[in-house]
Amino acid sequence: MGPVELLHMSVFSQSFSPCGRFLAAGNNYGEIAVFSLSAALSPDATAANQKPVLTFTAHEGPVFSLLSTDVHLLSAGNGEISAWSWNELTKKNVKPLWTKRPNYKSSLEIPEINSMIINPRDNSLVVGGGDNNIHIMDLEHGVFKNILQGHSDYIHCVSVRDREAEILSGGEDGAVRMWDSRSSQCVHCIEVYKYESCARPQFGKWISCLTTDSDWMLCGGGPSLSLWHLRSLSPTSIFPLSGCQRQAAFYQDKILAVGEGAFVSHCLLGGEVKAQIPCTPQSLNTLQLNTNSTEHRVLTVGGSSDHIDVFTNLSYRAFSLSF
Amino acid sequence: MGAVTDDEVIRKRLLIDGDGAGDDRKINVLLKSFTKWCNSPGTPEEGFMQYQRMLGTLAQCEFSMGKTLMVYDMNLREMENYEKIYSNIEQNIMSAHEKIAECKKEIQRAKRIRKNRQEYDALAKVIQQHPDRHETLKQLEALDKELQQLSHIKENVDAKLELRKKQFHVLLSTIQELQQTLESEYFLLSVAVEQTNL
Repeated sequence: MGPVELLHMSVFSQSFSPCGRFLAAGNNYGEIAVFSLSAALSPDATAANQKPVLTFTAHEGPVFSLLSTDVHLLSAGNGEISAWSWNELTKKNVKPLWTKRPNYKSSLEIPEINSMIINPRDNSLVVGGGDNNIHIMDLEHGVFKNILQGHSDYIHCVSVRDREAEILSGGEDGAVRMWDSRSSQCVHCIEVYKYESCARPQFGKWISCLTTDSDWMLCGGGPSLSLWHLRSLSPTSIFPLSGCQRQAAFYQDKILAVGEGAFVSHCLLGGEVKAQIPCTPQSLNTLQLNTNSTEHRVLTVGGSSDHIDVFTNLSYRAFSLSF
Repeated sequence: MGAVTDDEVIRKRLLIDGDGAGDDRKINVLLKSFTKWCNSPGTPEEGFMQYQRMLGTLAQCEFSMGKTLMVYDMNLREMENYEKIYSNIEQNIMSAHEKIAECKKEIQRAKRIRKNRQEYDALAKVIQQHPDRHETLKQLEALDKELQQLSHIKENVDAKLELRKKQFHVLLSTIQELQQTLESEYFLLSVAVEQTNL
């Protein structure tokens, strides 16, 4: 990997292993790198520990989404989903367990997969991508059992609302749709750009980040990042962040958001921005919290750089892993 | 094996003789002088003086022995003291650890409470934007009353209209009848006039 390629690298997705000791990151060249967190966080870590323990080419196109289940790492790229076993990856064996492709209507153009999430209720994988549809795959049998249609443009992000068994999806058409996972019907459709308080017409109407807490939902993108109360479907707080946010997460009593701008924004639920912590990449694409492990509880962010910043304490950047 | 123990012995002896090669030599000198005194053929005064001298040396040796015994006691007690302090500090460390864990739990709880409070505030903000329920009810009542009043007025106007219509109808029909009667009379009258003319 030459220096020019390193300069042009963007990290699009990250996922922690189920034991919490490894981090997998996917970039725009279709590669996945596995970093050992326990080595990088140990007191006698050297610069070599901040390099990946394993790098391999997983797909021909960029890896836009990575997801970990209890034993597998699922990666999406070039319109297909591959599964890798974490045990095999730690032993540096890079043979995928399976590769599947959702049923696309046209076979000429292969739409990319932008986002995947697991619906724990029925152990299914919800996949949203460029063909404007959401595909649901049963992880036990490996078959695609359902297609949710309704969006008029490609889907950026999907999320699952555990308590009410709903799937939320946000797309380029500016609509956040809520689907009932059992009946596969669209129960609500919120067009965020139509609300004056959130809309930012200078950026557009697309929704690129969506996350939910069963009662509350964060969504943003073209419109400002806003906190919605799902029962009443009304926006309660608008966050005055200048760029377009690409990923947000609820963490304890705060909201962490990343997007355009070389910082991680910490916001309170009331709508004020408490802190903006600077990072290495110029703009950030992905934010992940390691909730699988108690001793390696870190926040990692990646974006338009070959460096992935690691935060051991949320207030400052500790060090960076690099491809 | 012999060399090792010799080294050990030498080392121990050097360590013990901290006084600077005083006590050990004193005891050896005392023994030598004792044997010399036992075997000496000298005068009784000399013998007595030597005896006194030996008693003096013996007293000195006993004194230094007493001193070292006291030092040894003191060391033992210091050790006990330090042991106590050490276990005390260990206990403090344990309790500090527990307190830290407690405080961490408290923080988590406080964060959760803060999150709930903020969610409540956010919802309250939205709710405040909607008008008060009492006011809306009052407005509804006022509107209801107005509506009733207006419908009353409408009924009255309708009734009046009906009455007027009927009255005009009666008037018009009477006029028509009168006209008809007048016309028929006029006709009869004109027929009678024609007949008399003929």
